[in-house]
Amino acid sequence: MTEAVKSAAKLREYETVFLVKPDLTDDAVEKLKERIRGIVNRDGGKFLRFTIWGKKKTMYPVAKQPRAIYVHAHYLGGSALVAEIERNLRNFDEVSRFLSKRLAEDIDPETRQPQEDLKLAGDVDDNKPFGGAEREDFGRDEFGADDFGGDVA
Amino acid sequence: MRETKKSGNGERGERGNGDMDGDEKRGRGFARKKVCRFCADKNARVDYKDQATLKYFVTERGKIIPRRISGNCAKHQRSVAKAIKQARGLALIPYLVLQG
Repeated sequence: MTEAVKSAAKLREYETVFLVKPDLTDDAVEKLKERIRGIVNRDGGKFLRFTIWGKKKTMYPVAKQPRAIYVHAHYLGGSALVAEIERNLRNFDEVSRFLSKRLAEDIDPETRQPQEDLKLAGDVDDNKPFGGAEREDFGRDEFGADDFGGDVA
Repeated sequence: MRETKKSGNGERGERGNGDMDGDEKRGRGFARKKVCRFCADKNARVDYKDQATLKYFVTERGKIIPRRISGNCAKHQRSVAKAIKQARGLALIPYLVLQG
């Protein structure tokens, strides 16, 4: 019995990253955040933090747009909660893509406290691939793979 | 005519020897010792959000580099491949780079 109570109190740690259309205003993004936060709190989870990565250039057009606003949600909950969040994200027209991932098992919700939401600047240099973090010795030079075939060059 | 034939044979012979030397060098382990960077550094984590790390494991064309080249161990190569595929889904890394 005590085991069952203990396991019921423990939650899993999840993160969900979703892409929002780039023309969305800050207020609309805030509204979206509150809806997600509401779902987590309603379904017995604990919301930890939202991080908005900002408007970034995507590596290929997503929903016919070259940019997207990346939003990262970090929360505790169960598998049913993730399914519910994903069902809602699918219904939001502003959200084009999402990915949920389990980070840890058996987390005591008391040990994790909600943190203040973060907002990052987004891409500094849009014209370069990988968000301007381009490297000179890219690909085969790193590993000295001169027999890698024609695909690299 | 004869002279030219002789010189041609000589060239061929030399070329053949040169190739053999090259093969021997390759086979005898002049290659750099490759180490899985995630095993070497215990703090290094494979993360689909970390484009800066993942780009070391894809070619300029966007293909995943095999572990015989990158030096990853089997376990970490699996997690790197998974992370790359997840990052591609979020458009953080390209599926394919078309070159001109």
